[in-house]
Amino acid sequence: MSIAVLLKQVPDTTAKIAVSGGRVDQGSVSKWSTSPYDEYALEYALQLKESGAGDLVAITCGPARSSKMLTDAAAVGVDSMLHVEVDTSEMDSKQIQSILAAAVKHCDADVILCGKQAADTNSGSTGPGVASLIDAACVGMVSEVSVDGDGFSALRGTPTGNERVVVSRPCLFAFDKAATELRRPNVKGIMMAKKKVIETVSPGDLGVDIGESGIKINAHDSPPEKPPGQKFEGAESVSTVVTKLREEANVI
Amino acid sequence: MPFEALDFYDVDSLLTDEERMVRDMVRDFVDNEVLPKIEHACRDGVFPDEWRVTLGEMGVLGAPLKGYGCPGLSYTAYGVICRELERGDSGLRSFASVQGSLAMYPIWDFGSEEQKNYYLPKMASGEWIGCFGLTEPDYGSNPGDMITRAEDMGDYYLLNGAKMWITNGSIAKVAVVWAKLDGVIRGFIVEDGDEGFYAPEMKGKHSLKASVTSELVFQDCKIPKDRILPGVKGLRGPFSCLNNARYGISWGAIGAAQACFDSAKEYSLSRIQFDHPIASYQLVQNKLSWMLREITKAQLLAYHLSQKKDAGNWIPEHISLAKMNNVDIALEIARVARDIHGANGVLDEYPVMRHMANLESVKTYEGTHDIHNLILGRHITGIQSFTRDLS
Repeated sequence: MSIAVLLKQVPDTTAKIAVSGGRVDQGSVSKWSTSPYDEYALEYALQLKESGAGDLVAITCGPARSSKMLTDAAAVGVDSMLHVEVDTSEMDSKQIQSILAAAVKHCDADVILCGKQAADTNSGSTGPGVASLIDAACVGMVSEVSVDGDGFSALRGTPTGNERVVVSRPCLFAFDKAATELRRPNVKGIMMAKKKVIETVSPGDLGVDIGESGIKINAHDSPPEKPPGQKFEGAESVSTVVTKLREEANVI
Repeated sequence: MPFEALDFYDVDSLLTDEERMVRDMVRDFVDNEVLPKIEHACRDGVFPDEWRVTLGEMGVLGAPLKGYGCPGLSYTAYGVICRELERGDSGLRSFASVQGSLAMYPIWDFGSEEQKNYYLPKMASGEWIGCFGLTEPDYGSNPGDMITRAEDMGDYYLLNGAKMWITNGSIAKVAVVWAKLDGVIRGFIVEDGDEGFYAPEMKGKHSLKASVTSELVFQDCKIPKDRILPGVKGLRGPFSCLNNARYGISWGAIGAAQACFDSAKEYSLSRIQFDHPIASYQLVQNKLSWMLREITKAQLLAYHLSQKKDAGNWIPEHISLAKMNNVDIALEIARVARDIHGANGVLDEYPVMRHMANLESVKTYEGTHDIHNLILGRHITGIQSFTRDLS
């Protein structure tokens, strides 16, 4: 049995997002990156692999451009890559979860790591959804995971402090910000990545019938522009500033 | 936030996926580990040892060499590595240039099988630092008249003489030293700890302050017989090394220029004078446009040269042109960038004055600007103008 890490390619946090015809204009996104929480999942997946927990496969579900992210993952040490090539832009979370669950089964993986949410949709449902479909234990908000006997020990943040959870296979860890950043590749890894072949399949190849989307997106909108800053000078404006901080900014 | 380098003509789109991945790797290293420390390193006059370790871990030392623990990347990738390192600091790029092109390359090309197996893996990993001893106190542009001599003593060679301006000298485990044996220039591998070998550091530089520069002194220095480089005689040896290092510099200078352009652009957009950002004034825009123009031309020059280098259809004069031009424009861009920053430009809060001071050295080392002009002049006319009989 192997380890799988689920990766999603999202617009880079530095990229400008334009909306055209009620949809995010993907063609105008200058740079795509791996979703940041997924990068933490990848780092800890590599650590589990290095601890002998199994071979590591990186899985993504998305359009052709997503394959670059899998090559980047190969450069830091994943053993194999599976790309379910499909346009996900009009899919709902459940459809994507069913594809990823089938991909996980296809790879014979029973330890799955992913980010707690993607940086573009912020839905947060992929980890729990996939865990439910493959009947795996699900641990969310994870900041650390390691091999513990036959199972795994994970640290997760809660509002009142940290909680340590021990689970056995099959299990899924959805990562929050973690202590260790994703490692940098090296030249050897980059040259190896070039030789690794990405297995590219369609949802049909995996035997998944994703059905119809249960959700219809009406329209995307850019966030409203921030109103300009207000400037106050002199002691006499203190009461005005306090009132505004309390009633408009809601910070005191 | 990762650095977004000026690339007006999208020249990096011509790179292979592998070369782009190497670029991103080195860029990440410079953003996260070099730039936060560079000003301290310059003030203290040290090359941080952790950079040596990380350069070795990344596998970029001796990048275009193949075998013996070296990755065998393209020369284009090597150029990209130099550019990204020099965006951080010319001293950092100098470290990598000297290690890969000047110390590892001659062992790789002219060394015995035993020498390659013994030295190269440890140099590629960064465990052993190398340096290159060619320039002498009285022989810079004219290395052919060097004084350093080797004498065959039967069981060993005896080395006497001195080298100067040697990057990495005091921190090197391995020195590739060029000396005359029976009047012919030969390469010798000298190791730290060899009897009669000293490498005092040269202090007081206003340039390349994060790079170690040393003298190499040989006083009856005994070198075992198996430490001569068997594969080359004459100036072709050191010049082959310099061709590779100069090639890397032609890319590296672009990195320094990009850093200065970026800083000047950001500064001019945020600096308000006479109620408006200075970027809104025509004089400043003219300077920024000129920088963009020269950087774009330099990028195209370096990229085309890299294709010739990888295809093997290059001549040393091609490299002379690129080294001379790209360092020249980088230095001028650094000066204009300092000007745009006004008084703030002299502070180490901004990288421009550091790059400017560094590039003064880069203009002079590895064949001075003027010497490269003479190399091109000889190529054009067929007449050498380096020397003449004035008697």
